[in-house]
Amino acid sequence: MQRTYKKALPHMVLIAYVAVILIPFAFVLLSSLKTNNVEISKSPFGLPESWRFLNYKETWLNAKINVYFWNSFYLSTIAAAVGVFLAAATAFALTRMKFKQISKAIYQFILIGMLIPGNVLFIAQYLLVSKMNILDTHWALFLPYTAGALPFSVLLISAFMRSLPSELEEAAIVDGLSSPMLFVKIILPLTIPALVTMFIINFLGNWNEFLLSNFFISTDKLKTLPTGLFSLRDAYASNYAQICTGIVISVAPVLIIYTILQEKIIEGLTAGGVKG
Amino acid sequence: MNRKVGTTIALLLATSTVLAACGGNNNNGANESASPSPSASPAASSPASEAPASEKVEKFEVSLRHIQVGEAQKFRKAILDDIVDKVEAEIPGLEFELDGLQDSFNRFTKLPAEMAAGKPPKIFDLFGGPGDAIKYAKAGKLLDLTPIITELGIQDKFQGLSTFTYEGKVYGLPIGGSVEGLFYNKEIFAANGVNPPKTWDEFLAAAETLKSKGITPIASGSQAPWVPLMLVNTLIGRTAGPDAILGLADGTKKWTDADVVLAFSKYEELVKKGYLTKGELGLNYDQQRDEFLSGKAAMLFDGSWRSSLFSAGALGESLIGKVDFIALPSLADGKGDQTGLNTNFANGYGFSSDLNDNELKAVKSFIKEMYTEEIQVRGLLEDGVLPSMKVSPDSVNKVENELTKAALNVLASSASSFPHFDAVVPGEVYKEVENQIQKLAAGKVDAAGMGAAIQKVADATPAQ
Amino acid sequence: MKNTLRNPYVYLLFIVPTITLYGLFFIWPMLTSAYYAFTDYVGLEGYHYVGFDNFDKAFGDPDFVASIKRNLIFIVFSVFIQVPLIIFFSLLISNVKKLQGFYKTTVFMPSILSTSVIGILWGYIYHPDIGLLNNILKIFGVDPVYWLAETRWPLPLLSILITNAWQWMGFYIVLILAAIFTIPKEINEAAEIDGATGMQKAVYLTVPLIKPIISVVIMLSIAGALRVVDIVLVMTNGGPAGETDVMASFMVNQSLTLGQYGYATAITMIIFAFALILTGLYQLSFGRQSERIEY
Repeated sequence: MQRTYKKALPHMVLIAYVAVILIPFAFVLLSSLKTNNVEISKSPFGLPESWRFLNYKETWLNAKINVYFWNSFYLSTIAAAVGVFLAAATAFALTRMKFKQISKAIYQFILIGMLIPGNVLFIAQYLLVSKMNILDTHWALFLPYTAGALPFSVLLISAFMRSLPSELEEAAIVDGLSSPMLFVKIILPLTIPALVTMFIINFLGNWNEFLLSNFFISTDKLKTLPTGLFSLRDAYASNYAQICTGIVISVAPVLIIYTILQEKIIEGLTAGGVKG
Repeated sequence: MNRKVGTTIALLLATSTVLAACGGNNNNGANESASPSPSASPAASSPASEAPASEKVEKFEVSLRHIQVGEAQKFRKAILDDIVDKVEAEIPGLEFELDGLQDSFNRFTKLPAEMAAGKPPKIFDLFGGPGDAIKYAKAGKLLDLTPIITELGIQDKFQGLSTFTYEGKVYGLPIGGSVEGLFYNKEIFAANGVNPPKTWDEFLAAAETLKSKGITPIASGSQAPWVPLMLVNTLIGRTAGPDAILGLADGTKKWTDADVVLAFSKYEELVKKGYLTKGELGLNYDQQRDEFLSGKAAMLFDGSWRSSLFSAGALGESLIGKVDFIALPSLADGKGDQTGLNTNFANGYGFSSDLNDNELKAVKSFIKEMYTEEIQVRGLLEDGVLPSMKVSPDSVNKVENELTKAALNVLASSASSFPHFDAVVPGEVYKEVENQIQKLAAGKVDAAGMGAAIQKVADATPAQ
Repeated sequence: MKNTLRNPYVYLLFIVPTITLYGLFFIWPMLTSAYYAFTDYVGLEGYHYVGFDNFDKAFGDPDFVASIKRNLIFIVFSVFIQVPLIIFFSLLISNVKKLQGFYKTTVFMPSILSTSVIGILWGYIYHPDIGLLNNILKIFGVDPVYWLAETRWPLPLLSILITNAWQWMGFYIVLILAAIFTIPKEINEAAEIDGATGMQKAVYLTVPLIKPIISVVIMLSIAGALRVVDIVLVMTNGGPAGETDVMASFMVNQSLTLGQYGYATAITMIIFAFALILTGLYQLSFGRQSERIEY
């Protein structure tokens, strides 16, 4: 008897912890289907009077979450893809091409980027973007996001490429392949696991990014999801049900990706610490 | 296997690069094409091409920055849209590019940045005073409007242009104005046996009664510090006299003077006695409004522009006829005229000094259409905005909104007026006042401490 | 033939775009930050070199100094409250047989979400009228607590710390779990044969063996504590009355709302310096010990 109790204890503690993690989400989900603050006030824990799926339609259209969603989606995807591609090309050049001394120097140079904490560059980037005249356009996010992906991606992809045997190229070169073709046809396909991981990580980083997207973009229809949700919250303060639908819409895609790819994500994010 | 993956990747990358390029182009395209919400990025678009002779109808755009965004501003937006249509009809080839931004974002973040970069919009919402219009006028960024208003004959028709005048020249034109005073819920007062207060002591007594009945006496929301500063400003005008505000601006009055500190301690008294909304430091301006509209709070110190809330179709519809607006009650220990009011005629439009011929034509036409008695009266009737220009008494009599009438009455029965210090003191000093009022509300500083901290910044700031 | 891997044009082609972007958005801003920090730049022409004035001003500004204290509070909370809890939960999870995967995935989950969205979510939980916590308290007849607007004691800061912990603890737990799993099973089995209890195994065996990763977690926590900004901006914008302002949120307001770019970049330099110094100090004192662990 005591034995089972002892065995159950860790589980009880852990279940409690998991509950603390999940209950806020459940509360938000529940609230998102209620009518407005008044109803939430009356029955915070109860089921909604009528399951107002209409809230989702309203938030998606009237509150323009669909615009923010699309902006986030296409910006995150393209910046992540371009970033990873550039990083892969650079990693190839640094690790597989025969310019050892220079490569080492460039590698160290790029690594410095990992030392710099996120916000330190914020103001200077703001001033730069402003001078480049791209403030309040999507370029103001696309370029920093892509650049931001580079240090960590180069680091990780280089590590991966180094582990590939060098005989690979030799055979291909004998066949008459040039470097770019070598890169595309031989090396790239083999680094796909690392590329995919980096893409996911950078995609998530971009999708979640708030500071730049909030201050570099002011035109409403260009906003990304975190910023859009933020201004939504202030505008709809009297109807938290709407705000909760916004939260759910914001969080759902990430959770879906996470459920499918959790191993990869965990593995990628915990390798080498936190990005940015 | 490798081949397929390779090709897929190549395809993916090709598509993404194309999409990225398109994304860039689309962005610019979207910015220039018409969209349901009239917002376009002035930074991405470029204004008119030169059209020297007006024989060919060459299209040109003029960027127009305004702050009429959101539900509360819909009436003014409607007026602006009408003006835009009129001017576009008058000037062939002209197309206005409207860009609506939140008031404080435009005033404190976007416009200053654009001025610094030398690329402001052609027409933009502008505040008067040394932190805004005067600053830009000094830097040569604003169009001198004196010849235009002389030509149009309206140079004497404005109630006051001092906040937009630099070295005798006018650089901006106020759209309308407001006064700040006390709104109160007549129903709640009657239900609790409270009379509208005429003196500060009556005011405090009323608050005490309401508080004991479980009603929040004064709706408040100090998350955005400019909100509580409305009351503070009027208090200074009453404890230190109507000239005190300008005195603080030119240094003849100090923030540490006993009468100025008295104003802070009056506000402090309200905080200490718990007459303000609980948790108000976490509430924004909209939430403060909602406190009053929902009947949770009985009084609200705010600007006369709020009268537009109490009209058909607006948020305060259910309270029409139940709300009144009066001047802040008189202070027994005050100084000077106790009917003194804060009046603001410092928000309007300014124009870039960098205009080509076509743009100048558009600007002249804009001024001609915007600054007329008709538009002033429209603003008054439709939106409760007090006229910044002199209008005939007949027009004034047409007002139906009870609260706009009350505001006009309050204005008429006050013997003196003073501006808001945010229009006349240097920006750094104003920011410190904002900083300190929140600390006062949080009980982290007392009235004397607040005065001292502000004066410290004032002393360190060079004279304007 | 080998020449293709020595082809300078291809090399440049593969390197230049990356270096350009990187240089433009990392190195150049770093340099301009360092430059403007010594000027009185406010966004208009005609700014001057002012030496260390901005730094003097920063350390003389009671609001900024208070914000430094708050970052330090974050660090203390992360290292002395979160880390022990993290270790505790990692040990717990590594010890259970069933549902391990479930626990791991669930606790990790909040860390992949946007900090700003988490801020909005918890802002709702903390809402004085309709939030989850106050509703629970209402059941027990407790008056509404102003989690994010209380001025009498630093409750808002504590509320933010709790939300931050809620989001990030799972990340570090998984990190430590990974290290625990690399400990060879034989060691554990040997200890059990010797009669060690679960508690003893944990304290005398596991924890010492994972010292390197604990070290990493502490370093990351310190770096994270200095970087905090999104959550503060979204939940309280530094309020009430600046009570939750941290260095980075103070910097954002100085630069974007007040246009004090010179002063604000000086502050970013101070944040950077803090990060370097603290992590450097930590590495020197504790990091070195845990370099190699021999079984």
